[in-house]
Amino acid sequence: MEPTKQATAPSQHPDQVPVAGAGYDHIARALLACEVERLSGVLRVTGEPGGLIHLTDGNVTAIETAGAPGPDLILVRSGRIPEASWAGTFTSAAAGGRMASELIERGLIGEGELEAVLRIALADAMFAVAGGRVDETAVEHATTPSLLPLEQPAAPGWLLFETSRRLQVLTGAADLVRHDRDRVTADPAARSAAGGVLPSGQAEIIALANGRRTARDMAFILGRGVYSLSLELSRMRANSLVSITSRRSIAPARHARQQAPQSTEVPANADQRTAKASDLPRRHQPGRQPRSAPAEIMPPPSSALLRLLRLFPTGDRDSSGSADAGAET
Amino acid sequence: MAGEALLAEMEALRDRVAGITDTALATRDGLIIKADTVDVDPDNIAAMAAAMIGLARQMAIEAGRGTLHEAVARGSGGYVATYAVGTSALLVVVGDAGLDVTHLYRESRETVEKLNQLITGTDRRQRAGDARNLPGRDLRRRDLRFEAGTYGLRPTPP
Repeated sequence: MEPTKQATAPSQHPDQVPVAGAGYDHIARALLACEVERLSGVLRVTGEPGGLIHLTDGNVTAIETAGAPGPDLILVRSGRIPEASWAGTFTSAAAGGRMASELIERGLIGEGELEAVLRIALADAMFAVAGGRVDETAVEHATTPSLLPLEQPAAPGWLLFETSRRLQVLTGAADLVRHDRDRVTADPAARSAAGGVLPSGQAEIIALANGRRTARDMAFILGRGVYSLSLELSRMRANSLVSITSRRSIAPARHARQQAPQSTEVPANADQRTAKASDLPRRHQPGRQPRSAPAEIMPPPSSALLRLLRLFPTGDRDSSGSADAGAET
Repeated sequence: MAGEALLAEMEALRDRVAGITDTALATRDGLIIKADTVDVDPDNIAAMAAAMIGLARQMAIEAGRGTLHEAVARGSGGYVATYAVGTSALLVVVGDAGLDVTHLYRESRETVEKLNQLITGTDRRQRAGDARNLPGRDLRRRDLRFEAGTYGLRPTPP
């Protein structure tokens, strides 16, 4: 299958524009096109953090990204499954693609709980990918199947709606801690200020808040969702338990800036920037008819989000952790 | 000052690639030069990285797999990658389980080159440069003078 790519317009610096909106829109268009065409394979998202979205018949079964911990890490780091048990299951079942059934058969986790963890991890990964910088998307064959695919794949409409909701919630947070770039430091007086008693989960966050870690970094250590940690850190920042002391400066895409005006990767028949659903490669599936456009499933991508984002000023690039951080997506 | 510039390059790499937790720059024989670490002991990491890259290079040669690009160890909690910096130093990168090793390899090329320039005090392009390039010739002369001075020999007249 020849990969079909969609290139974005030249991107501005991520600290100057609400990239969450742009990234979300780009992925929403690509995913909905895949749903209409009932594609199976992988939607490769190039960007920061980027990722691989595994698809079956246009629905999403798994997402791999450097921006959020996968279900395997969540299961082990959260203590739901001991690491030795996981390793034993992996040895016997990973090569045959039977991880989920083997975990259940060994009594390490219930079917319902596993399904819940997989869906939570999926939504979190989509949040990380769509909330970051998206340079281009390309549909490819899946060379390596995902380790723990969803038994009942998630419809793109639901996934996008959930992602949009999460982005909107964070956008509205008064003391926003951006999941992928804000490094937080615990206030030295945080514990005593709280009377030595911190709400569940906050003590371990305080212990990790050493000025070098973002919410994403903590999520990988704790085996928790990036979104929930971002929200928790924002609350803690509002309560003066942590503060933003530095930021990752995520660079704009190098090649996208160079290629976008005259990209050779956009199909020749597409004089617009995004490929139509019919431009995307299709796996031969006898008897299957394309779905109707899922306009009724969800509102136009992120229109509400973009309205919210326009409320905030742009152009702040300081690294002091001042109050303007709340103005970023 | 040079130490600050080295550290700035290492921090810039940690900034560019999500998932990097620590970096350390060491001599090829395992003595630490500069560390941007919090989760690991830089001296131990430096010593082990020297052995790691030496063994990996020999393995690549033995297996007929050409020039070593990187030596990577992967554990359940993440990665340790080691890169040669010129002929005299090495860079150790420690990352979490989400680290994209392919992305790291691409991004680390620029960092390794800059670190090498800072360590040797030269720009490789100038050093290797065109014989017609006068600044390059001047640079090579300066290098010779530096090396002669370093080893206590009488500097070559310019």
